[in-house]
Amino acid sequence: MITIARGYFNKFDKVVFFSALVILFIGLLILHSASSRYYSQNVLFRQMVWILFGIIFLFIILRISYQKIIQISYILYGINLLFLILVLLFGQARGGAHRWINLGAFNLQPSELAKITLVLALSSYIGRRKSDITKISFLFSVFCLVLPIFILIFIEPDLGTAFLFIPISLAMLFIAGAKMGHLVGLVSLGLSAIPFFWHFLRDYQKQRLFVFINPNIDPLGSGYTVIQSKIAVGSGGLWGKGWLSGTQNQLNFLPERHTDFIFSVVGEEWGFLGALILVLLYLLIVYRGIKIIQTTPDVYGRLIATGFVTLFSVQVIINIGMTIGFLPIVGLTLPLISYGGSSLITTLIYIGLLLNIGMRRPLF
Amino acid sequence: MQGVIFFFFVILILGLFYTQILKHSLYKELSESNRIRVLYLEAPRGKIYDRKGNLLVSNRISFDVEVVFQEIKNEEKVIDLLSDILGIGKEILSTKIDYASQRPFIPVKIVEDIEKDKAIHLEEARLDVPGVIVTTRPLRNYIYRGTLSHVIGYLGKISEDELRKCKTYGYRMQDFVGKDGIERSYNDYLRGAGGGLQIEVDSRGRQLKLLAIKEPRPGKNLYLSIDIELQKFCDSILADKKGVIVAMDPSTGAILALVSHPDFDPNIFVSPNNFKKIQNLLSDSHTSPMLNRAISGNYSPGSVFKIVVTTCALESGAFDDKKTFSCTGTYIVGNRAFRCWKEEGHGTQNIIEAFKHSCNVFFYQLGIFLGADEISKFAFKFGLGKPTGVDLPGEATGFVPTPSWKRREFKNPWFKGETANYAIGQGYLSLTPIQVLRLASIIANNGKLVEPFVVERIEDINPSLVRKGGVNLHHAEPQDVGLRSDTLALVKEGLRRAVNAPHGTGLYARSEDVVIAGKTGTAQNPRGTPHAWFVGFAPLENPRICVVVFIEHGGKGGLEPARFAKEIIEKAKTLELL
Repeated sequence: MITIARGYFNKFDKVVFFSALVILFIGLLILHSASSRYYSQNVLFRQMVWILFGIIFLFIILRISYQKIIQISYILYGINLLFLILVLLFGQARGGAHRWINLGAFNLQPSELAKITLVLALSSYIGRRKSDITKISFLFSVFCLVLPIFILIFIEPDLGTAFLFIPISLAMLFIAGAKMGHLVGLVSLGLSAIPFFWHFLRDYQKQRLFVFINPNIDPLGSGYTVIQSKIAVGSGGLWGKGWLSGTQNQLNFLPERHTDFIFSVVGEEWGFLGALILVLLYLLIVYRGIKIIQTTPDVYGRLIATGFVTLFSVQVIINIGMTIGFLPIVGLTLPLISYGGSSLITTLIYIGLLLNIGMRRPLF
Repeated sequence: MQGVIFFFFVILILGLFYTQILKHSLYKELSESNRIRVLYLEAPRGKIYDRKGNLLVSNRISFDVEVVFQEIKNEEKVIDLLSDILGIGKEILSTKIDYASQRPFIPVKIVEDIEKDKAIHLEEARLDVPGVIVTTRPLRNYIYRGTLSHVIGYLGKISEDELRKCKTYGYRMQDFVGKDGIERSYNDYLRGAGGGLQIEVDSRGRQLKLLAIKEPRPGKNLYLSIDIELQKFCDSILADKKGVIVAMDPSTGAILALVSHPDFDPNIFVSPNNFKKIQNLLSDSHTSPMLNRAISGNYSPGSVFKIVVTTCALESGAFDDKKTFSCTGTYIVGNRAFRCWKEEGHGTQNIIEAFKHSCNVFFYQLGIFLGADEISKFAFKFGLGKPTGVDLPGEATGFVPTPSWKRREFKNPWFKGETANYAIGQGYLSLTPIQVLRLASIIANNGKLVEPFVVERIEDINPSLVRKGGVNLHHAEPQDVGLRSDTLALVKEGLRRAVNAPHGTGLYARSEDVVIAGKTGTAQNPRGTPHAWFVGFAPLENPRICVVVFIEHGGKGGLEPARFAKEIIEKAKTLELL
């Protein structure tokens, strides 16, 4: 607040920014390998366009103080809610899920945007009523803020994204100083609601969960993806089969390898070493994000940063975890790498916000 | 919070380590089997030729229809097309395609051995219906069908038991292996080695590139001692009678013809959809068409055994052609009357005349004079009671009784009457036709015993190297059984007179073209009409062919068998085998 004027680029976190650039570059190489033979070349070009837009958005965000953005967070939240309703009414269905709104040039995925608007709205709300953080009633009102978005995304259905909001909300409440006991109570309440949600799951979603427990019950159907993905990653070994030489990838044994399962291509072609480097790059961003949280005195900034660091980590962990069969397939993208405009631009925007917060810390 | 996030990242890295390093070899193997498809290329079996180079068994191309279920776009269209071209019911095709759907990525055979025209037609039409493939493979072709069935044998799918034993030699499930005849005894040479193609495929089973090829190595060609013309003649002369004809070169053991009736068409076993026919053939216990009677049938030899008894008498030193016995038509042993075949009797005869007449009463007396043990000793010397060693599977041993055997088996002494019966080739004694043939060949071959064989040579194989599974191409040198030359001369004279002298029993075998020597046999048996035998050789001096004719329940050996033998020997002469 005091130090915005001069030299605030000194506190621009170059590590986060350049790690993100390196990951984006790796992503393009991998996307090329994953798409060159069976998808059109368009995929790579479009991804580059998204990256360009994303980086432009990132720099625009940098120029506007996050505190100003917080002020319009409820409006953004409302608009997003509207989009989520529209997507259910008019959305394009792919594979049984209504997740996209056709905006002419591209398809917007409102559930991706919700990752930002909900975090902003939560930060605004929790930040303003910080003194009530230990009250149960406060937790309940936070719950009410999350619930509409959660339900709308859940019934799209986009389970992965919907459930992402649980750790995000918990982490933000925790950082804001909520009582541990309350959080634990909240979690157990959520767990007890699982049978209720189970009732609402579509057959294919139930099947995915069964398959997670034992992929071999349906090796050519729902189990196919996870089996082929494990084969791809495992067969990569230490060094990998080489760029453009992964047989699982190049011979089309891996479904969805340019979107949710793109990490399998990394594992297959670049081996354990390549996968490890990529994971460490992600971890570097997470580590710097945590540093920013720890050194930001402003509660709003801390909350926003917490939301994004959690979001980012959980998405990386779940995405990679599902490619090696450690976690069920839930349809989450790998940040900065998976093909898809909404996901890419969303990620770049919140990296922009994270940098924004980092830049506006007071100098010691 | 920091700790929680780092904890999960560490788990993630350990997970990657587990999958990519610890489980690497498993997943590597799985990814290879995903990507590499091995197509088996069957090796054509070796061809089989006769002694003059005539092709007897070859391979033809079988056109098979396969489907890759994954690639089928329109199942109905595929069924319509196949039904249209092949004339097969749609339900049958539908079931077969269902079966193929269980292994959607690999080609599954659904129709075998279609006609060539249909194959071409289908090959043209299949471009419009992806998922259908026409493949070829070699199929055994038995040119002479049933004529050679018991020499060649037949093929069948390898049994589980055989597979377990032979897996290390590259046999696979569904492989065809020889089940009988030389297809079986020479299977290892005939089969060759299968090859294969390693092809890289994508997830839809599309073949992208050839990674490696191993050409199949065809099996070795066999050359038989059989003369197909003589074989055909023997087959036609025996016509629909149950029985055996075998012709052999007595000096080497080379079999020139071997017919056992009833026979079967070996082509039935390699063509598809013959399950019922095969079942019928294999389970026909009434006529037993699969039984090679020439080597596996044990029969009473009847009077042809007198060759052995006569030789035994002359060799014993206690008997010669001056000694006589008289025949009144009946001979009493103990309290039982043994009859001669001629009711009024043959009067007083020496051994040669009695042999010519095949006089039973003379031989009853001669047998009792010599004793059963002495006769058996000679029977063994003639190679009876054990296999001749012919290179065909399933040879029976026959049976030569001895008094001590009877005591062991029945706890009963050997009776004199049994010796009398034994001396005329009846009773416990049983021989296979090929044993009878060989015992005559010993006389023809001046006391030398040969090992019969049908395979003369294997292409590209040094005979001295072939010594496997009872097959011995390094044909054993004839063994001298140790008969005196005067004995041989007298037995030959008996055989000559039996065919050529007045009142000989084998007169029907007398030929104008060549001097034939031989002996008839009419073997009583409990199941009806006697079995009819003739065994003989020609020319008398320096014999080149030895023939046995056996007709199950054929009546008198002096009738059809003798006549057949003559015709066969005359045919052999026109074929320049003599």
